[in-house]
Amino acid sequence: MEQKLTKRDLWKLFMRLNTMRITLNYETLQGVGFMRAIAPVLEKTYTDKEELSDAMHRHAQFYNSHVNCDAVILAVTAAMEESTGPDEKEGINSLKTGLMGPLAGLGDSLIKFTWVPIIGSIGASLAFSGSIIGPILMFILYNIVNIGLRYYAIVFGYKKGIGFLNDNQESNLIQRISTMANVVGLMVVGALISTIIKVQTPLEISTGSSVTGEVGENVIAIQEMLDQIMPSVLSLAVTIAVYHVLKKTKGSHAAMIIVIMMLLTIALTYFGIL
Amino acid sequence: MIMTIIVITLIAFILGIDDVSTKMFRRPLLIAPIIGFILGDVQAGLAIGATLEIMWMGIGNVGAYMAPDLITGTIISTSLAIMSTNGSIETAVATAITLAIPTSILAQQLLVLIQTINVSLNSWAKRLADNADVKGTVWLIYPPALLTGAARAVPTFIALYFGAGAIQSAVDALPTFVINGLETAGSIIPAVGIALLMLAMLKKFELWMFLVLGFVLSAYLGLDILPMTLIAIVFAYFYEMITRKTAAGANGANESSKNTGEEEYDL
Repeated sequence: MEQKLTKRDLWKLFMRLNTMRITLNYETLQGVGFMRAIAPVLEKTYTDKEELSDAMHRHAQFYNSHVNCDAVILAVTAAMEESTGPDEKEGINSLKTGLMGPLAGLGDSLIKFTWVPIIGSIGASLAFSGSIIGPILMFILYNIVNIGLRYYAIVFGYKKGIGFLNDNQESNLIQRISTMANVVGLMVVGALISTIIKVQTPLEISTGSSVTGEVGENVIAIQEMLDQIMPSVLSLAVTIAVYHVLKKTKGSHAAMIIVIMMLLTIALTYFGIL
Repeated sequence: MIMTIIVITLIAFILGIDDVSTKMFRRPLLIAPIIGFILGDVQAGLAIGATLEIMWMGIGNVGAYMAPDLITGTIISTSLAIMSTNGSIETAVATAITLAIPTSILAQQLLVLIQTINVSLNSWAKRLADNADVKGTVWLIYPPALLTGAARAVPTFIALYFGAGAIQSAVDALPTFVINGLETAGSIIPAVGIALLMLAMLKKFELWMFLVLGFVLSAYLGLDILPMTLIAIVFAYFYEMITRKTAAGANGANESSKNTGEEEYDL
């Protein structure tokens, strides 16, 4: 199979991929964007106007996936449009539909739930100490993956074409990377609980004997006691409590929970508990 | 002052379009320091950015679900917080958190509106496809891009132009215990972002073990995030290997397809 697209065509595909989400809408989600992105490729593939029109219609249908994974799907689709005969065209859409679900899951677990929390927490801890390096480092690390992955995926996806699918079915690569990203993400989240959330109580218990009247001699700070049992135990307790509330409400009332926590914290600080 | 507000409005316009295209600046920590720089208080910008970043850590669009608009929320809350609290970083952070929630949620409604208006693009796209007009497709993005930019810029201008004075008198009028409480809340509320992440990632019971591991390595041993991540990669590699071998042993194909189904349900 001969590949027609030049480096310049792939660059054009990349540029149009970057603006794909602007046309996001409730009817076809990214359908319009996908058609717009792949249109120059179709123009190069089909010389016949009727065929080109059909192909454009084919790609203006419902489509949605993760930003950085759109690149792979676009490129594989481009390769397929070139290599398939006229009677195989329907297969292209089922391929797109088949890829967009799993790849969206991969993109979410790899970037949104793993990479962004990791670099976000590194950046935030630097920023908390007043260093401008924090956001700069986060910007660089985020965009190496964000922009880099998109471009690389276009080149890779086009080169592999349909072979990407066969490779994937054999090794189940998407599922494997997803699982690994999930584990890394969860361990980082576990670490964040103790480093980011700070719940401390100024409460004290006075154990001074009342007989001798030396009240306040043996003051035990509750926080110190808790730290000896387990550091950050209050942070852990709060997080797990919030997690259970969120799970009960299926995660849809996060903003409401934040407001309630604010009011609760104000009340608890007022009474000297926090 | 009006010049500063116009500059911030322009930034809101540009970042608004960036959010749906190149997506280079779409996190609070990347936006707040820029606003801080413009208003002459980078330190406050950094502190607000870091707090909001962690607070909204687990927030993001998943599938067709639209999340609170972090872009507008961060720009408005950071600007108003710095403009209306004179110098105290703690008070600025507390004010920013308080403002970030209502602004993000209100701005989210505008984005929903835009996605509804964008439905009209479909008939335009179909017309272009009918005529096989590839050149014409270039123009498809301009009207929605302007609309998205304006959806960020207009609320920003209104909030900054009319809101700054009101917020300042509100902050001045608040009793100290409320300000203190909000400052404390700033270091507790990130629990929501983290819990949201857990909600998305804890798909099976056995995965709780990794959460425990991460917590212990950090709380007791005080490991930083970076060495933590490297250790996590080692565990991830072997966990994946073990689960794959077990699945292959017990008729792998069924097992893995079942797992995918569960994941989609939980997301």
